[in-house]
Amino acid sequence: MLGKLTWADIPLDQPIPLIAGVGAFSIVGLVVIYVLLKGWGPYLWREWITSVDHKHIGVMYVFLAAVMLLRGFVDAIMMRSQQALAFQAPGYLPPDHYDQIFAAHGTLMIFFVAMAFVIGLINIVVPLQLGVRDVAFPTLNSVSFWLTATGALLINISLVVGEFSHVGWLPFPPLSELRYSPGVGMDYYLWSLQISGVGTLLTGVNFVTTILKLHAPGMTYMRMPVFCWTAFASMLLIVAAFPVLTATLAMLLLDRYLGFHFFTNEAGGNVMMFNNLIWIWGHPEVYILVLPAFGVFSEVFSTYSGKPLFGYRSMVAATMVICILSFTVWLHHFFTMGAGADVNAVFGILSMIIAVPTGVKVFNWMFTMYGGRVRYASPMYWGIGFIVTIIIAGMTGVLLAVPPADFLLHNSLFLVAHFHNVIIGAILFGMFAGYTYWFPKAFGFRLDERLGKAAFWCWFVGFYLAFMPLYVVGLMGMTRRMQHYDNPAWYPWLLVAAAGAAVILVGIGFQIAQLVVSIRNREELRDTTGDPWDGRALEWSTSSPPPPFNFAVLPHVEGTDAYWLMKQRARERGAPEPEPAYQDIELPRNSATGFVCAFFAAILGFSLIWQIWWLAALAFVGAFATFVVFAWRDRTEYRIPAAEVARIDRENRAARRLALAQMEPAE
Amino acid sequence: MSIAARTTAVGLGGEGAAPSVPHELSELAQKRVIVGYGFWIFLLSDIVMFSTFFAAYAVLVNETAGGPSGRDLFHLDVVAFETAFLLLSSFACGVASIGARAHRDTMYYGAMAVTALLGAGFLFLEVHEFVGMIGIGAGPQRSAFLSAFFTLVGCHGLHVTLGLMWLLTMMAQVFAKGYRPDILRRVLCFALFWHTLDIIWVAIFTVVYLLGVVV
Amino acid sequence: MSDTDARLHLHHASDHAPGDEPVSGHEIAEGLLGYIVGLFLAALITAVAFFLVGTSLVWQPSIPVALLVLAVAQMGVHLVFFLHITTGPDNYNNVLALAFGVLIVGLIIVGSMWIMTNMNHNMMPMNMMHM
Repeated sequence: MLGKLTWADIPLDQPIPLIAGVGAFSIVGLVVIYVLLKGWGPYLWREWITSVDHKHIGVMYVFLAAVMLLRGFVDAIMMRSQQALAFQAPGYLPPDHYDQIFAAHGTLMIFFVAMAFVIGLINIVVPLQLGVRDVAFPTLNSVSFWLTATGALLINISLVVGEFSHVGWLPFPPLSELRYSPGVGMDYYLWSLQISGVGTLLTGVNFVTTILKLHAPGMTYMRMPVFCWTAFASMLLIVAAFPVLTATLAMLLLDRYLGFHFFTNEAGGNVMMFNNLIWIWGHPEVYILVLPAFGVFSEVFSTYSGKPLFGYRSMVAATMVICILSFTVWLHHFFTMGAGADVNAVFGILSMIIAVPTGVKVFNWMFTMYGGRVRYASPMYWGIGFIVTIIIAGMTGVLLAVPPADFLLHNSLFLVAHFHNVIIGAILFGMFAGYTYWFPKAFGFRLDERLGKAAFWCWFVGFYLAFMPLYVVGLMGMTRRMQHYDNPAWYPWLLVAAAGAAVILVGIGFQIAQLVVSIRNREELRDTTGDPWDGRALEWSTSSPPPPFNFAVLPHVEGTDAYWLMKQRARERGAPEPEPAYQDIELPRNSATGFVCAFFAAILGFSLIWQIWWLAALAFVGAFATFVVFAWRDRTEYRIPAAEVARIDRENRAARRLALAQMEPAE
Repeated sequence: MSIAARTTAVGLGGEGAAPSVPHELSELAQKRVIVGYGFWIFLLSDIVMFSTFFAAYAVLVNETAGGPSGRDLFHLDVVAFETAFLLLSSFACGVASIGARAHRDTMYYGAMAVTALLGAGFLFLEVHEFVGMIGIGAGPQRSAFLSAFFTLVGCHGLHVTLGLMWLLTMMAQVFAKGYRPDILRRVLCFALFWHTLDIIWVAIFTVVYLLGVVV
Repeated sequence: MSDTDARLHLHHASDHAPGDEPVSGHEIAEGLLGYIVGLFLAALITAVAFFLVGTSLVWQPSIPVALLVLAVAQMGVHLVFFLHITTGPDNYNNVLALAFGVLIVGLIIVGSMWIMTNMNHNMMPMNMMHM
């Protein structure tokens, strides 16, 4: 009846995950009860849960990423403290639990922090920068988000019911096969990734279509802001790479559930093929995450330097070259697997070539600042910190791309330090810069600068303290994922690394404080004009937060830095553009499809994990029925009358006129 | 599936009248382009997924672990029938999409029914083949080659099954709602899906069956 | 009725969706003709492919290559006559997307086969005996 699920699967013998899990779920439960008691339920349902507005979906993505970041960071703290304590000692985490922690840390951070954060920012910003009212398929966008959330939910359920994967963030066979991982932990991993992977793929389809086909009048491809270009490259990579992940994990699932022989040791299965297939997805995944971060920095450097981005065309070209090249280097993740020197050499050289377009980007950012009127706001802090850090990451990356060197460094903490250098130093710093930069656009008030800078310094220093020692112990030969060790030479370095994690913890504390303080002081921090940073792209040409329709009238674009040109013209004229003729606007209606569909997907995933087949069948029928019901709707849009559009837009125009009057006349 | 999410006022609530204002016509045309393009991108991602299964098949094709190989198992006459069914159903699907655009009931429903029958016939032959292979002990658990074979061909069969569910839904939708622009966009997407399945079948019958017998 | 200011601006006004017949939907005969030509060509190529496998008239080692060439040709026929992906200017985006897809598919299949074959040779697994 309940498949493999029994009372014995509640891990009563393991206090740490149980207490943490019960604690986390009771906090969530209390929040839900509080919200319902306050009578906010209908508001949440109307404005957020069923919303198909890209801005709201983006905010929910970022919220999901932030919560999962906390969860993943707790795992990180546990690993660092375990390694600080486990010198000639067992530490406090038993091996079985330690394995689950590093697996959960990697899985959460990549799939539900980095991905969710990147997709969240893209959701909020890209349609605004393109000057359109929404993405190509708004309801699909909501489905994507809720499927991603379902994946995150399933992984967190594994804290309390059953166990999580012991295998690491990628499930390498034969360890991940049924014989060596008989528990449900591996199945939690696989099904939550399959479900959230569908969501991610649909996001990719949605945004490739949006960026190629929806534009404000005059917004040609070569006038799109660089963030749109990097988002496009990233989404294109999702469309091309995520099907490979889905197929590869499906093969592993077939091995585990139906006794197939793709990656088994017997009957002709090929363990090495898993390495090959998973990294065909895995390497582009790095660029799926890092390219939008590059895009954020391009926006930030150009805005705060008061200059157009240096070498716009070379930036676009570099982005697209990286996009294609990232699909040709996957073997460098398994140089040691046993391919011949010729294969290794080809992939090694291709990997090094990627450094060229990336180098072009670094120089472009520096030349953007050069000769500009640089304002050192906190996004710029993240930006400059990023440039320093990414150069180290790039150089250690080129080092790892040399096959003979990789034979020494493979699976060592040097590698761990390298990819954290990329993921924290580039992706996370980029996301934090974007979060600070676009926060006023999403919520209508700025974040506190002092606390933001304090958070930056803690993250920056903490990162170097935590990961530079790992480069060192990696070179000394320490492999990754060690639950305990007895080499005295490593011990001091691991203490430093643990201290670094503590400093990052303080940084996260500052970020939480920053959010709380900013919300409390929101009236002083209010962004009345919609253009708090003297921005250049179209998202700053509408109010903060933008109205549901984004733009009362679609802007006419006459060049790159479209809004900057508009402002120049307004300054020359001494007045903003004349008021347009307002018209009714139609917008897609809310839809519960995404939420209901995710509800069934969660049940489907859970019942497949525990092999409750009747429930799985029921859930599949439910999901299909949801789509049919959705497809049967007749009224799909609602209308905002012209008078209402005019009222909303005039408010914003008045604020902008006031701001213009206080400004110097055109320089 | 959010294809309907951005329908214009034209054709809402079953008014269904032909658009009269030129710019609305063009906006509908634009919507058709956007939806078609989005679905085309999705289909390309589906093709990439199939290519992963093809890659796995190519790597594992000789790993028979002492069990039967393709040469022992494949019956090309059955494959020829499957190919013919699918090709004809693809043609019928094309006829159905013309019928839908021309609002011709007999043409649309007739061709869709033929498409469905041929698709079901294809599925019947495939299931029959699978059952026969499993019956003689050549199931997917026998060897890596057979795992890859069943997964690749079975994944295509699964797509055909989902396509049939979609096909019946589209017949019901046109019946219930008429040839509304948003419904027609879905018919367009369905046709793209069905034609793409036939393209994938071309790769399967060539790489798996014909080359499996020849090489 | 709706906002006259076209809210979705496209790069090519004459852009069209993949799968759309270039002729207007009401010209049934013309549309049908395209599908009939496609069906004829596809059936012909398929027949040749199946014939090649059964025959001894053709130099045997050339057959695998010939089969692959025929498959590519048939996919082309399907793309042009059924999916209406052509090289016309209005189809630019569709073709570009297809080209990207083909590139990725090629990289995955050729790359995997190259890597795995090379590794199998290099590592000499146990089951090389039967090869």
